Amino acid sequence: MNRYPRWPVHLALLLAGFVMLVPFYWVLKTSVSGENIYAYPPSILPARVNLFYYVDVWYAIPFARYFLNSVAVSAIAVAGNVVFNAMAGYALSHGFRGKNVVLVLFLSCMMVPFQATIIPAYLITGKLGLLDSWLGLALPQCSTIICIFVFKASFDAVPRSLIDAARIDGLSEWRIIWHIMMPLSKAAIATNVILAFIWSWNNFLWPLIMTRSADMQTLPLGLARFLSYQEDTTGALYAFCVMVLAPGLLLFLLAQKEFIRGLTSGATKG
Amino acid sequence: MSGWRAILLNRFVLVPGAIVLAIVLWNIYVATHNNGLLIGRVTDSSGRPVADATVSLWVYNFTTYEEKERVATDADGVFRFTDNPSHRIQISAEKPGVGRSPRIPVFLYFRAQDTTLDAPLRLAGAG
Repeated sequence: MNRYPRWPVHLALLLAGFVMLVPFYWVLKTSVSGENIYAYPPSILPARVNLFYYVDVWYAIPFARYFLNSVAVSAIAVAGNVVFNAMAGYALSHGFRGKNVVLVLFLSCMMVPFQATIIPAYLITGKLGLLDSWLGLALPQCSTIICIFVFKASFDAVPRSLIDAARIDGLSEWRIIWHIMMPLSKAAIATNVILAFIWSWNNFLWPLIMTRSADMQTLPLGLARFLSYQEDTTGALYAFCVMVLAPGLLLFLLAQKEFIRGLTSGATKG
Repeated sequence: MSGWRAILLNRFVLVPGAIVLAIVLWNIYVATHNNGLLIGRVTDSSGRPVADATVSLWVYNFTTYEEKERVATDADGVFRFTDNPSHRIQISAEKPGVGRSPRIPVFLYFRAQDTTLDAPLRLAGAG
C-alpha cells in the first residue's frame, strides 16, 4: 500500500526520541548515584544506586510545604481554566456581534509576554488583597487563551442540532455547557487540565514576585532556594529535579490519550 | 459497568489511590521505626569483639558533621545509641592501645531510623 518503506521514518523517530530522552535519563541516573556529571568518560549505567539523595532533599528544605503550595495553586489554576475557558469557548463557538474583534483581541494578547504585564498583575493582585496567598498565586493562570481555543474547537465539533434540542427542552445556556458540551469534550478538558497544571506547576517568575513568606513558596522557588543553600548538591539537586518533575509526568502519562485527542480535535473538521 | 464502578475503577482514581496508600503505609512504618536506635559492633583487626571502646556519633548539621554523643561498647563489643536524631550520620570508634576505626558514613531513609549495622567498626593502627 505504501510506496516507500517505513523504516527510515521509524529510525528517525527513534533517534529523535533517544535524543530527547537522554537528558531525562541523565537526571534520573545522577539523582540515584550522585556521580559527577562532568566525569570523563561518562558512565552510562549508575554505580552504587541509592535513594539517599531524595532523603537529603526531603530534610534540607520544607519540601512537603512547597509541594502542598504547588498542588494547591495548580489545583486552583486547573479548576479556573476548566470553568472559565469552557465558558469563553462556548461563547466563541456561537455567532455574536463583535465576535471577530474578540477573536483578534485574544490572538493579539497571545503575543504579549507575561513579563510585560507582570506589574499590573502584581498591582491588581495587591489591590485584591491576595498577595502571598494560594489564590493570588493562581489568579493570573486561571484562564489561558490557548486553552480557550481548545474548548472552542471542541465545542465547534458538537452538532448545532444537539444544542437546539437542548434549548427546546428548556435548558439554560449554563446547563447546556455543563450537561451537554462538557461530557462531549473530555479530550478538551484533559488538554486544559494538563496544560494548566504544567504551566502552573513550572511557573517561577510570578511566585517569585508575589510571595513574601517562605511558607508560601512553590517548588520551583524551593529549587532555587535549595541551590543557594549548598554547593555540593549534585545528587540531591537532581533528586529534587526528579521530585519536581514527577507529578507533571505522571499526570501527562495518565491523560496522554485525551491530551493528544484534545489538541487535534477540530483539526479534521470540515 | 455500573456507575460507581466506572467512577472508582479507572486509572485516574486507581493510580493516585495507590500512591496515597503507599504514602500512608510508609508513614506508618516511619512512625513505628523512628526511635533513634543505632546498634553495631566494634572489633579489633583480627575480628575479636572489643569491650570498652569509645564510639562517637557524628550528626550532619547541613554543612558539616559535628559530634553529638559518645557511648562505650559492652563485653561483646556491642554499642547502642538510643537517640540518634538524624538521617545522615557518621560513626567512629577508638580504644587506646587497640587503635581507631575510620569514620563510617551511615545513610538512613528517614530521621532517627532504627538501624543495626551489618559491618563492624574495625579498630586498627595502634601505636
